[in-house]
Amino acid sequence: MVEGVQNLLVIDPDKCTGCRICEEACSFHHYGEFNPRRSYIQVLRNDFEGVFIPMTCQHCGKPLCVEACPTGALYQFGNAVFLDKSKCIECKQCLNACPFGGIQVDPVTFQVVKCDLCGGDPQCARRCPTGAIKWVRADQVGYQKKVDGAQRSARLISLIVPQG
Amino acid sequence: MELGGYAGRYLRVDLSSGKVWVKETPKELIRNYLGGLGFAVKILWDEVDEHTDPLGPDNRLVISTGPLTGTMFPAAGRYQVNAKSPLTGIWGHANAGGFFGPELKFAGYDFIVIQGRAERPVYLVIDDDLVELRDASHLWGEERNGRFYGGKTTFETIQMIREELGDETFKVAAIGPAGENTVRFASIINDLGNAAGRTGMGAVMGSKRLKAIAVRGSRGVRVAKPELFMEVVDDAYRKLLVDWGDALKETLTKYGTPNLVEAINAMGRMPVKNHWTGYWEKAHLIGGERIREEFRVKQASCFGCLVQCKYFVRSRKEPYAGIYKGPEYEALVSFGSSLLVEDVEAVFYANHLADLYGMDSISLGMTIAWAMESWEHGLLTKEETGGLDLSWGNAEAMVELVKKTAFREGFGNMIAEGSKRASEIIGRGTERFAMHVKGNEISAQDGRAHQSSGLTHATAARGADHLTSLSCLEERGYEQVAAERYGADKVKDLVDPQSTRYKGWLVWDLEMLYALGNSLIICWYEVGWPPVFYYPDMARAAAAATGIAEFGDPNEVKRIAKRIAIHRRMFNVREGLRRKDDTLPDRFLKEPMPTGPAKGHVCRLHEMLDDYYEAAGIDKETGVPKDETLRELGLGELAGRWR
Repeated sequence: MVEGVQNLLVIDPDKCTGCRICEEACSFHHYGEFNPRRSYIQVLRNDFEGVFIPMTCQHCGKPLCVEACPTGALYQFGNAVFLDKSKCIECKQCLNACPFGGIQVDPVTFQVVKCDLCGGDPQCARRCPTGAIKWVRADQVGYQKKVDGAQRSARLISLIVPQG
Repeated sequence: MELGGYAGRYLRVDLSSGKVWVKETPKELIRNYLGGLGFAVKILWDEVDEHTDPLGPDNRLVISTGPLTGTMFPAAGRYQVNAKSPLTGIWGHANAGGFFGPELKFAGYDFIVIQGRAERPVYLVIDDDLVELRDASHLWGEERNGRFYGGKTTFETIQMIREELGDETFKVAAIGPAGENTVRFASIINDLGNAAGRTGMGAVMGSKRLKAIAVRGSRGVRVAKPELFMEVVDDAYRKLLVDWGDALKETLTKYGTPNLVEAINAMGRMPVKNHWTGYWEKAHLIGGERIREEFRVKQASCFGCLVQCKYFVRSRKEPYAGIYKGPEYEALVSFGSSLLVEDVEAVFYANHLADLYGMDSISLGMTIAWAMESWEHGLLTKEETGGLDLSWGNAEAMVELVKKTAFREGFGNMIAEGSKRASEIIGRGTERFAMHVKGNEISAQDGRAHQSSGLTHATAARGADHLTSLSCLEERGYEQVAAERYGADKVKDLVDPQSTRYKGWLVWDLEMLYALGNSLIICWYEVGWPPVFYYPDMARAAAAATGIAEFGDPNEVKRIAKRIAIHRRMFNVREGLRRKDDTLPDRFLKEPMPTGPAKGHVCRLHEMLDDYYEAAGIDKETGVPKDETLRELGLGELAGRWR
């Protein structure tokens, strides 16, 4: 078992309906206000065809932001990447290095911010009404996705598998 | 304590001079009128009167949010659009979901008042504190040789403005060609497919030469008592996901409002053939079950909602092929059963076109239904329809008419006037096929099968409408809810669709309740159907969000709701409306339902109307709110002026 954070935020765009409750919950947890533009998770959307993809920090195993950080403000702890604001010099190198937009600049303070997993109880996953965002122990993710995949293929061949 | 929930300021935009003012939201407006619909009632009463031309520069377009808009209270993502209606000439408003409303609040505005008329087409950009009017000539169509060319669709407009502003997260509300051409039931479309549909708010916007409003906001919403408010939110979540969870999972969440097609048809209340009857043996062709099985590709949701009734469909059949926002129950009826159109894919397409061009699907479909019935009786000729064969069920003609109406081309120019005006222009007895109240086409209910829905249609301030006061207690037999709210002794009558007993009182109670819902603003699909939230829930949420202690008293919010509803009625009284106008077409009052479960019934409106007036404190002779009612609500200065 790894030391530190053992869970992953697992995101399934197929289940996302684009309601943005995750954004509301995130901004309220971190800033005490309902303000999706300050949220660390954002739902990308194509409203022409109904495609919704919640995106946040991927908490990479080999994080480019950590490599780019010159002061050690960004660091890994188990399956997660955290930002120590006391060491951050706002150089924005991490912002450039991250390929996913996992690092962002807050629209109010104009400082670098990122997902901190709400101290171990991510509000986006807790509040998601469809199960599109889940907080799952890393070694359980594969099994969970196998269950989802099996149900999906079973539906394709018209077998009904009870939801479990 | 800081006032929470509200942004605390509003925008006034004068398109004639191009000036914009940022002003403080008046405290007494908040205290007396709460938000959303309430704000608009007060503003339109003060700034518009019986001499105002709905399509003239003096009309006001009020776009308003409520104290819950943008918060985490479930389904508080809607906004109100209000103005004197060009369709009816009286009170007009529409309410839309999506994401535009919260964004306006996030930018720091409770509402916008738009007045005047721009010299050239413009669009309004609100980027937090930066507000500007931009040229919209490239988005606006033009008339050449009597034909209308161009005019970007709502979807094109939204995309183009986002590209111009360089940020696809701008939330945009726009009109299409129909709004530009002041089609009398033109809508405003926001976020690709959410419609502020009814009573021609898009035509008001078009008459002001305002093509769109784009908003981006990062100021957020703060509530007065965050911890208490989240308790309220948790309780609301529990009610929706646990108490009503199973019911929702099998209905709205699973099918969206198309679920109503089968259910409403089974009670014989689904309008068929221009409200001729209430039962269609082919309803399954346009029903929720079929749509889900064959066409549904994705579930969707408005801002912050747990019900999530929106959905997308895919049609593979030419010429209708494409991926579209799925139609609501109302559109399935107005383009489907009302016209006897069996091809649900044509209904998807017509509904999509109505969104693209910006038209209310209810008034549009029901006006086409008027034309088809007039055609059936030989009262319209092929010369008049421009060669279109308006036989019942002709899906091609329907789609063609939808297009022509948006551009006011040929016979579309007649449809664009709405059924009341069109039938008066043509005459020859077509008036008796115009299914409207106060000029607004009747939505997809029928008072013969559901008595109280007839009273709702007859009394609703914006003309025949379901969202003003429709009772769903009878629809689904919510006995427990009826007992809790009104007493066990009344349940038997309350849940009986054919009983008229207590229905006047019921409809008035719901008119106040929905006025409250439209002022806070939360969605009808958790206040109306299913009937989850009632005065105490709303009072608690309002008090926690705003910090105004008086809002925590259910009796006080009910009093505010009554003030809003009565003052709104006074708007129509000032326009000259009286008791005689609270009525229905003869079809509902005199022609017994010809087929289906409600066969043989008429709507016994007269048995309910007096009760309704009595419950509301309205004079039974005139239909004008009594002086004592006005005084009790702090509207004393209105007393004695209208008889």
